[in-house]
Amino acid sequence: MIKGATAFIVLAGAAFFMGDYHNDVYRKLLLWITLALGYNFLFGICGQVAFSHFAFYGIGAYSIVIFLFQFHLPFPVAVLCGIALCVFFALAVAIPSTRLEGFYLALATLALGQLFIVVLNEGGAVTGGTGGIANYRLPEIFGFQLRGPWYTAVIALLVVATYLVLVRLDRSWFGRACRAVRDNPEAAAAMGVNVARTKVIAFTLTSALAGVAGMVYAFVDNTVNPPIFGIDNAFLLLFMVIVGGAGRHAGAVIGATLLFLLPFWLSPLVGHHQALVFGVLVVLAILLQPAGLVGIYDRVVRR
Amino acid sequence: MQDFFELAVGAAASGCIYGLIGLAYLLVLRPTGIINFAVGEWAMLGAFGGYVLLTTYEWPYPLGMAVALAFVFLVGWATERIVVRPLVEKGAPLLAPILALLGMVVVYRETISAIFPPDPMPVPYAFGMGRLELGPIAGTYQSFFTIGVTLAVFIATWLFFERTVAGKAFEAVALHRRAAALMGINLSRVMALSFGAGAVVAGLGGLLVAPNTSAHYLMGVPLAIQGFTALVIGGVGRVAGPLLGGLLLALAEQLTVRYAPIPSGYAQGMPLALLMVFLLLRPTGLLRARS
Amino acid sequence: MKLVAMLAAALFATAAQAQDTIKIGVITDRVGVSKPYAEPATEGIIFGANELNKKGGVLGRKIELLIEDDQSKPDVSAALARKLIDQGAVFILSVSLSPATQQQQTVTMEAKTPQMTPMNSADYLTTQLDNPYFWQTGPLGSVQIATLLAHAKTRNLKRVALITDNSELGQAIAKAFRAGLEKSGIQIVDDEVVSNGSTTATPQMQKIRGANPDALFVAGVVTATNVLIFKSYRELGLKMPIHASYNLSVPIYMTAAKGLVDGITFVDAYDPDKPEVKAFEAAYKKETGTAPTNLHGYGYDGIHLVAEAIRKAGSTDKEKIRAAMQSISYSGVMGAKGMKYGFPAGKRAGFDPNGMVVRVYEGDRQGRVVYVGQK
Repeated sequence: MIKGATAFIVLAGAAFFMGDYHNDVYRKLLLWITLALGYNFLFGICGQVAFSHFAFYGIGAYSIVIFLFQFHLPFPVAVLCGIALCVFFALAVAIPSTRLEGFYLALATLALGQLFIVVLNEGGAVTGGTGGIANYRLPEIFGFQLRGPWYTAVIALLVVATYLVLVRLDRSWFGRACRAVRDNPEAAAAMGVNVARTKVIAFTLTSALAGVAGMVYAFVDNTVNPPIFGIDNAFLLLFMVIVGGAGRHAGAVIGATLLFLLPFWLSPLVGHHQALVFGVLVVLAILLQPAGLVGIYDRVVRR
Repeated sequence: MQDFFELAVGAAASGCIYGLIGLAYLLVLRPTGIINFAVGEWAMLGAFGGYVLLTTYEWPYPLGMAVALAFVFLVGWATERIVVRPLVEKGAPLLAPILALLGMVVVYRETISAIFPPDPMPVPYAFGMGRLELGPIAGTYQSFFTIGVTLAVFIATWLFFERTVAGKAFEAVALHRRAAALMGINLSRVMALSFGAGAVVAGLGGLLVAPNTSAHYLMGVPLAIQGFTALVIGGVGRVAGPLLGGLLLALAEQLTVRYAPIPSGYAQGMPLALLMVFLLLRPTGLLRARS
Repeated sequence: MKLVAMLAAALFATAAQAQDTIKIGVITDRVGVSKPYAEPATEGIIFGANELNKKGGVLGRKIELLIEDDQSKPDVSAALARKLIDQGAVFILSVSLSPATQQQQTVTMEAKTPQMTPMNSADYLTTQLDNPYFWQTGPLGSVQIATLLAHAKTRNLKRVALITDNSELGQAIAKAFRAGLEKSGIQIVDDEVVSNGSTTATPQMQKIRGANPDALFVAGVVTATNVLIFKSYRELGLKMPIHASYNLSVPIYMTAAKGLVDGITFVDAYDPDKPEVKAFEAAYKKETGTAPTNLHGYGYDGIHLVAEAIRKAGSTDKEKIRAAMQSISYSGVMGAKGMKYGFPAGKRAGFDPNGMVVRVYEGDRQGRVVYVGQK
């Protein structure tokens, strides 16, 4: 707990020493880290390959905006409704999906991700169609408008809370059950783990966490639009977890940080070829460190 | 009714493309267990081979096709050597090469986009643009050509696996790697060949579809998803699986767009919804492996 | 002490340099989906800036372009807008994806920094947010359809079909087309979408054939998908006339759609016979060795419009530039002969509603202008 509070103070405090631009990049980076942490739990620890994480991020973002500004619900109610919506869709996907294994789940969630974009584009006035929704802002809390570095602090809180929840979970019987399910479902079942239920809980929980992150994202630029929640980003998230080190919380943090910032560094260096260099670097990272970059850190520490 | 037959021919041709991409997955998947999402990009390379050789240099179709496919074979073979082999030898988990190949998707696509302009590039039809009418069954020359070539490829693949010693070797590797090695089967050659063959089949799919879609650098991912869907629907157990899955997917897509009474924008989502339902009802695909 | 002095000197040097140039930010896309359009527009901006600088720049100061690549990612785009503002850009030109331009607006609105897109055409960019620091001079979807309909009015269209792709801009243009057709009392008997990445457009074209419309309106903006649509059109032996969005004005159709485009009517913001266009094409060719396209023209006009606003403002004060921009009247390369960009009565979409032209493909070539404006 003390560690968590320290981490929060450091992460949030840093925001007050940055300019607008770095604050903005920092906010988006922290959100990617949040997503990567959740996705790492689902994919790295529980072994489920899903491409729906960004769809849930989007459900969270769109639902908070729609509930607050079209249905005019009070803020806490809107948040709860948004989470409920994520849980509902996650269960709707997860419960039947327990019948699916490995890449069948990948395909079903890939389809879900694409369907979500179709719905956003065709959603008319509710979703704003391809232009998305803009022209809203975070309601004032006790007369105070959270903005700039103060909003960064909210995101820092989100990252730390997500991290603490997931680490706690990972160390509990549930985390062990998840790892057992990943490594050998038959053995896990023989040991008395309810494989289907473990998978459903892990999927629903991480999807709901993505939804909460989406709600926070909705007020980063005060606009939501479909391209953010497309499947390209879902693949990028997968790369982040892999390059960092699947199954490791630190790996998710490292992977998300490096891959999110890489284009910002590459763009001025290689211009048009930044995407090519990015791809080559990702492939090289996997080739040289199949267990993820966190492995390098391990080796250094062991020495 | 005439519309229906016309649509059926077109859908069959699309289904054949999906089937070829699905087969490309299968050829790699069976002996290696690797799901290779780069097949879509191999198809793109085939299409660009067609653009360079057939459109720019105006080579005769069979020659251009052969050289383009030889080129993608080399790409597939080299990919296995450079990206997959080192990981397998390191004993990395199976997911590592899958993800490295996913990374290669970016590398192939961006290499093409660095060489060619971002516009769609024309690729010629094998027999020009024209329409063949056999009674009520009508379609373009290219549709019939695609269907014919695809059937030939699937029959050849089936014969290879069922009737040749080399094919049995592939099968043996698919069933049991260590046993296959003990039997004296050269595992590394089987792997390299499976990647080469997968690339050829995918490249062929790209070359056949490009006269319609044009060759462009973003064409790979949609094809990879369509082919993967075909594979999953059809099942990975049998060679005919992807073809059947592809045909079913294409028919479902095009019939919903044509006949379903829903707005066209939503109709794009229908096959995806159908797919999810299908997966849940029949998670192992249409065709089960023969035991 | 020495170090402090050096640091101070360095700081002073950069400050002095900043005084020398006028910084204009450009947010483009070099690797994402907007690349085919964003790259030529950016080349046009660079060429225009060089031309201005050769003539002594603006207010006696040189223009310095700060070009950023957003990969067509709206969230990255907004961050880059902040970066440009932090670096001292007094104006931002956006030529990437429309949602990216939109997300940048949330930043420019807050930072009160002038921003303009010289080519995005989605109508919502100026209507969704009330951002007094944003202008749009891309030809709106609503202007495109009005111009096409004005040209087609002698044909007495009653029932038409509409087809588009599922890209965000294709959908936005289709929305504008739908509204324009309904306003003119024309019935849309069939409304189709072709997903990008489809291998055929036959089912959609069969429906259109079945509906037997007087004309087909193509609102799509993805070249590969439009080529697919025209192939199915030919294959199914359709004969109704085609009226297409400004995407057909991109020169690539002359090579990518050989034998498919003859007779297609399309709306364009570019008149090759206009003297300004001839001068621009000659100068561009002389400078770079390659011929420009209409896409270069959008960027070229964009930077000139910005320069004009700064000149008019007489300073690089953002508030003064905003006021100057709002009262500007500028004639550039794009648009019909004599067309002027302007933002009268607080409007922020500045492409002259009568500034578009209608052209018809003759064989594989883009023919001359056959109609001007929407009267």
